[in-house]
Amino acid sequence: MNKFLVFLEQREGIVKKTSIDTWNRVQDLAALYGDSAVFGILAGPVDLQQLCASLSGKGVIYHASNEAFRLYNPGHYARLVAETLKLEACTTIFFADTVLSRDLAPKLSLHLKASLLSGCTIFDVSKEVCVRCVRPVYSGSTIASFVAERSIRIYTILSSAKLFHSISEDYPTIIPLETCRLTGIEELFPVVRRMVMYSGRQDVTEASIIVAGGRGMGGSEGFVILEQLAQLLGGAVGASRQAVDGGWRPHFEQIGQTGKTVAPALYLACGISGTPQHLAGLGSGSTVVAAINSDRYAPIFDVADYGIVGDVHLVLPKLLDALHEFLKRK
Amino acid sequence: MNIAVCVCQVPDTASVIGFVDGAIDLTRVNDVMNPYDEYALEEAVSLKERFEGSIVTVFSVAAVSAKEMLRKALAMGADRAVLVSNIVVSDSFQTAQVLCQAISAFYQQALPDLVFCGKHSTDFQNGQVPPMLAEMLGIPSVTGITAFHASFESIQVEREIEGGLEYIDINYPALLSADKGLNMPRKTSIRAVIEARKKTIDLFYATLCENASVAMISIEPLERKKICKFMHSEKELIRHLNEEYSFF
Repeated sequence: MNKFLVFLEQREGIVKKTSIDTWNRVQDLAALYGDSAVFGILAGPVDLQQLCASLSGKGVIYHASNEAFRLYNPGHYARLVAETLKLEACTTIFFADTVLSRDLAPKLSLHLKASLLSGCTIFDVSKEVCVRCVRPVYSGSTIASFVAERSIRIYTILSSAKLFHSISEDYPTIIPLETCRLTGIEELFPVVRRMVMYSGRQDVTEASIIVAGGRGMGGSEGFVILEQLAQLLGGAVGASRQAVDGGWRPHFEQIGQTGKTVAPALYLACGISGTPQHLAGLGSGSTVVAAINSDRYAPIFDVADYGIVGDVHLVLPKLLDALHEFLKRK
Repeated sequence: MNIAVCVCQVPDTASVIGFVDGAIDLTRVNDVMNPYDEYALEEAVSLKERFEGSIVTVFSVAAVSAKEMLRKALAMGADRAVLVSNIVVSDSFQTAQVLCQAISAFYQQALPDLVFCGKHSTDFQNGQVPPMLAEMLGIPSVTGITAFHASFESIQVEREIEGGLEYIDINYPALLSADKGLNMPRKTSIRAVIEARKKTIDLFYATLCENASVAMISIEPLERKKICKFMHSEKELIRHLNEEYSFF
């Protein structure tokens, strides 16, 4: 029997959408294999109502609601995951690919003598019961597949635009972990003293629609209309390296080789030429790309599904108006 | 203060990754220092300037040709460099193991006060080596820091998370991996480049103790090309996006 363990990450008591996506994808994986069980581990106090409303599928979720798990602590978290793995004799752990899992999973892989495959975009399970991790490498110019060589495997999964999930009638059981022993050697761990969340901002790695701007936006004031568009569509604003290095936008919005890798359902590229370094940040081939650029021959149009040739400063206000009208009529 | 910095080489952004008869061809690639490692090195060097008597040593597991990159690191202000090129590593786990051996041998089983790494290499973007190395050295670590404040007693760092920021305390000795935004790496002057030639690059001979834990089984070109449908108006674009994908 295959036993999968999914790590559910919370921030400020809300389980992350990317973790829920991961849970759903692992549910599908379990269904595909048959003879599989899915377990979850959730660290920190959360809004259980929100969680139950967004999770489906069979399985058991262990919940360590201890206040000590509210903020990320690599020592406590690693121990909790390792203990749950042993408790249910799981052999595979799945994480959403996040800042937290990129910090925790490598440490955990050493504790468990596990193989670690980070940033997987696709699972290839066609041949045998062995999950292959497929992901772009070398700035997205090539795609490689990796396999684990050890019996315990850890995967971190890039959130995908495509939701394969078929809604299930089943719901997981949540079992509280009453007392979880915490180690006393606190000085060995870094301690998160404080966490500040930017209010009302969706991160580009979690948004299903990204409205991104590049050099063609002309300056920070050019992004005002992109913010309006993102707000209207419930998406996030992204930026190219040029826009970030020019000081127009903060680094956490940067998409590309020296920024974030994203896989939204829709990527609206405005005034972005489409250098290989920028395209390296588009992690999924299933993203629909719509581009607006004044240069008919800009490379962005080679990877776009839809294009408008024109000055962003003229096209975007018309697009915003047309969208307002469209949504009003809907 | 003893500061270790781990650096690696990656193809520069203009490099073409080719394929010949289905196999990857890296012969037309120009290797440069991983951009994130430049942030790591800059932080180490500026720390050395604040804490008198500090020594910055750069470590790299790479081919002998990486000496050129190590010369650049020395020109940026590192004092010494250690290169391991007697073995070929095939995953992050082995890289971390070899770095751990080299660092332990160099500091004669003691620990450096700080180890800086880049957040990840831009070619494979695993970012696994820094936390693995910290575990092997038995020291705490924080990945992807964007701010660093240190006194003789303690360290405060900041890390960007999805939609927020963490303020983290950590004690010496520690390993930190650098994200973009931490600093602006300095340019090297001609004089620094000449000075760097006088500094030593030590060769360290490592042994591989364990097999790789991950294997790459295939690599092929990624075809991103699509056929773009050009729209004549904004309304037409909205109609397509809605009718074909119901985005709105």
